[in-house]
Amino acid sequence: MTTSNLHAEIARAIQAAPLLSPIANQLLQVTARADHEMKEVIDLVKCDSLLTARLLRVVNSSAMGLVHQISSVDHAVSYLGERLVVGIAIAECTNEFLGKPLDGYEGESGQLWRHELFTAIASRAVARHARAPLPADLAFTAGLLHDIGKAILSEFLRGTSRELVADIVRGDTADYLTGEQERVGLDHAEVGFELARHWKLPEALAQVIRHHHHPETAEAELRPLIYAVHLGDILAMMGGQGTGSDSMKYHLRQEYAEHFTMSKDDLALLLLECSEEFRKVEASLASLKET
Amino acid sequence: MSQMVLGIGDLGASNHPDAEIKTYALGSCIAVVLLDPQTRTVGMVHIALPESKINLVKAKEKPGYFADTGLPLLLQEMARHGCQPKGKGLIIKLAGGAAIMDHNDTFNIGKRNLLAIKKILWSYGLGPRSEDVGGTFSRTVSVSVRTGEVILSSPGRPNWKI
Repeated sequence: MTTSNLHAEIARAIQAAPLLSPIANQLLQVTARADHEMKEVIDLVKCDSLLTARLLRVVNSSAMGLVHQISSVDHAVSYLGERLVVGIAIAECTNEFLGKPLDGYEGESGQLWRHELFTAIASRAVARHARAPLPADLAFTAGLLHDIGKAILSEFLRGTSRELVADIVRGDTADYLTGEQERVGLDHAEVGFELARHWKLPEALAQVIRHHHHPETAEAELRPLIYAVHLGDILAMMGGQGTGSDSMKYHLRQEYAEHFTMSKDDLALLLLECSEEFRKVEASLASLKET
Repeated sequence: MSQMVLGIGDLGASNHPDAEIKTYALGSCIAVVLLDPQTRTVGMVHIALPESKINLVKAKEKPGYFADTGLPLLLQEMARHGCQPKGKGLIIKLAGGAAIMDHNDTFNIGKRNLLAIKKILWSYGLGPRSEDVGGTFSRTVSVSVRTGEVILSSPGRPNWKI
């Protein structure tokens, strides 16, 4: 297939991707605003009985370990925090899309969602080490969506992983992102950006998705947020939650140090804390799948 | 065949001939595999970090998480299966410890894990027979008690032995 045909096919796949639910979209719009209040999140949740039921199920799941049951939306939202409320709303409507196997990366079913979740947790944790204050919950949401492009691109990369990995090992290809471009003319960051446009995601989230492997190419104002996700993504791969053949085959952008201060011990602690939180959140979200 | 799957910080040993011990997707983590030809026992620990001092509570709850608490406990577990308590005669194999491309010292936890593991092994007068460490790829490790073969796999590569 020629590159222009491939682009047209990929564009069609983006258009055919399932949309986010209206409630997930509204929550993303509200929480991306710097001046939003928790009450706005609670009011949105109250309007959606399905999401309310999901939140109550998660907050009362055994993995959360609460002694007393929570039965009000206000309590559930304040206990879970807005990041998990947004996370649950996204999980609910992207279950199939982000849960399918990533054949193009030899990734198993559920691997992309787990990678997104670990990255979300790690991006938020990294945000705490920023030199200037960063909206940590927005870093979580951005981490949760940063690799959505892989769900589309995977189909077009089917059967390429062995050769692509060998090219990187030989030094013929700089990294996995370059390998994707060489094979299909686009990479998962660019495809994810187009999907973000299709989903009408807030601009900051779309820019994180587009630049998460090259934060230095983003607008200066957004760079700290994008570096947080860049590092969160790397921590997920270090913690064994990659998406398959591409794991660890990206570059660390050393310029992160302009925005974050982290010692070796800080990073070790981050990895430990994120692994623990990931285990807990993954277990509590698993209650969504129980009948 | 019974399979013992180890998560991060887990450790285990078995002398059941039909058993297989496996751990998935080692990024910067390292799997230490111990094989005892005398008792035909196999043990493994999935180590995530070099030193327990950064979180002593976690070290108590899951000693296998750290090299300095995990390795002594794995040797104890091997001894429970009749192996020499100080590890004499054990064959040791290491896998994992990958790093992201263009990493700096801060992000090279894999290398720090490897150095800590070797230092502790050295204190017992032990050293690895073979190792497949570093690089920029994740590894899944499995070892069969019957054959003692340590098989590695990674997406995008054919399986290999160490």
